[in-house]
Amino acid sequence: MRLEMGNIYIKDIQFADTSKIEDGILYVDKGAVKAVALEDEHIKTVTFDIAKPGESVRITPVKDVIEPRVKVEGKGGVFPGIISKVDTVGSGKTYALKGMAVVTAGRIVGFQEGIIDMTGPGADYTPFSKTLNLVMVCEPVEGIKQHEYEKAVRFAGFRVAAYIGELARNLTPDETKVYETCGIKEGITQYPNLPRVAYVQMLQSQGLLHDTYVYGVDAKKTLPTILSPTEIMDGAIVSGNCVSACDKNPTYVHENNPVVHDLFEEHGKTLNFVCQIITNENVYLADKERSSDWTAKLCKMLDLDGVIVSQEGFGNPDTDLIMNCKKIEAEGIKTVIITDEYAGRDGKSQSLADADVAADAVVTGGNANEVVILPKLDKVIGTLDYVTKIAGASEDTLREDGSLEVELQVITGATNETGFNKLSAR
Amino acid sequence: MSKYMVITNNPLVRSRLDDTHEVIYLELSYEELLKVVRDRIYEGHRLLTHPLSGSVKPKETPYKSVLISERKEKVDGESVRLIENAILVCQKFQDKSKYYKEEVYKDFQLVDWTLLESGLASADVW
Repeated sequence: MRLEMGNIYIKDIQFADTSKIEDGILYVDKGAVKAVALEDEHIKTVTFDIAKPGESVRITPVKDVIEPRVKVEGKGGVFPGIISKVDTVGSGKTYALKGMAVVTAGRIVGFQEGIIDMTGPGADYTPFSKTLNLVMVCEPVEGIKQHEYEKAVRFAGFRVAAYIGELARNLTPDETKVYETCGIKEGITQYPNLPRVAYVQMLQSQGLLHDTYVYGVDAKKTLPTILSPTEIMDGAIVSGNCVSACDKNPTYVHENNPVVHDLFEEHGKTLNFVCQIITNENVYLADKERSSDWTAKLCKMLDLDGVIVSQEGFGNPDTDLIMNCKKIEAEGIKTVIITDEYAGRDGKSQSLADADVAADAVVTGGNANEVVILPKLDKVIGTLDYVTKIAGASEDTLREDGSLEVELQVITGATNETGFNKLSAR
Repeated sequence: MSKYMVITNNPLVRSRLDDTHEVIYLELSYEELLKVVRDRIYEGHRLLTHPLSGSVKPKETPYKSVLISERKEKVDGESVRLIENAILVCQKFQDKSKYYKEEVYKDFQLVDWTLLESGLASADVW
């Protein structure tokens, strides 16, 4: 499968009378994006705001972060099964708006997650302090159930991202990159001496605010399957989870998954990037057995030499991670796992809830229990009302001077387990 | 008769399942509940759902619901390993579960219920 990715760099976002992109500046007609968000009857009001890198702004509680894209050639459209029809994506030509994001925020449950600081020490810990953010805060209609509200906000974010992406359809990209994978037979012929490597991505799939969708399907109801890694670049996988925001993959991370991008960099040079395998992280233990059995089976059937496994979350998924690692290794396939740690505030506790000797090659995204002080910022987009209820926060989180004492786990993307952020340990 | 039991400290789970399922409802802390599950596992019940389900961390949410097999068999080593590890994990988190406003507890209950519900959907396939 071959995908041409055209990158269009956004240098600024401004509100204006007409939505358009000109000379790298995104102009947003507030009325138009509001109308797009309010298409869903479950949303009563929506407010839009812009947060720029370096500004004294805190966005919380963050639900999702999305990079706007538009499919300009080839089958299907962005966010298949959600915004577009379910056609298989990942081929043809897609444009992405780089340097910006649509951020959805607002209270769904009272212990809501996710902080993005645009300046100060908190900004160092989140990758989304470096993007120009178009933030939308949605309020639900009265009497709505949390499930309906979560879905409404999730879909509103994708609609707005698709609307913004569409503005780029007739532009000329600043740069174009080509991503191409070959068929099984072709790969063996073309790269006979290179190790065959796949990426196994584990997806959150546990319940409300703990879900992921693949072509619109709830990942907990899927069996492990194979994707062309270019499919994710068209939004084939989207986020429906944000609890403990440090190690969850917002949709932006799925679209820009660094494991996929790095494997493409090495494809044809040091390895043959065969495919991406996706699997889930269900609550039910027999589901875990079945999914990890299938993942290992797929790896074996593909005659792989090496696999990189990325996790999403902590605790329950540690068991999936170790099952995947053990079973893939048992097939004689070298396996590297990417995780993060809950090693206690002093970093001295056991990092994971599960372990095995087969997991002898581990990359970590950092310790989510690490404590940081976030100074008071001038402006809050969303609300601080719930910040003391965020995972990792405590009753004395909001200190007298207005600063927050929190664990890294409240910061969106801080210990991301695809390597999307900069933290690690040696 | 169902083939599994629910052990929970979540009143929402009790109210949703009490009429149709075997529910053991205990007014205990998260960690104490896991210890009850552990004792049952040593009696020969099997763990059916992961004791650390959900991303709301132990002691942040006070609620936990776990499915175990109704039938007692030989002690299952894997169940023992998972529950003992879960109790150890629990001990490294600070207890914040008593500090929330009333409505937040309702949300904690709901999320715990949806986590269990996803396990029930799988359990009921058998």
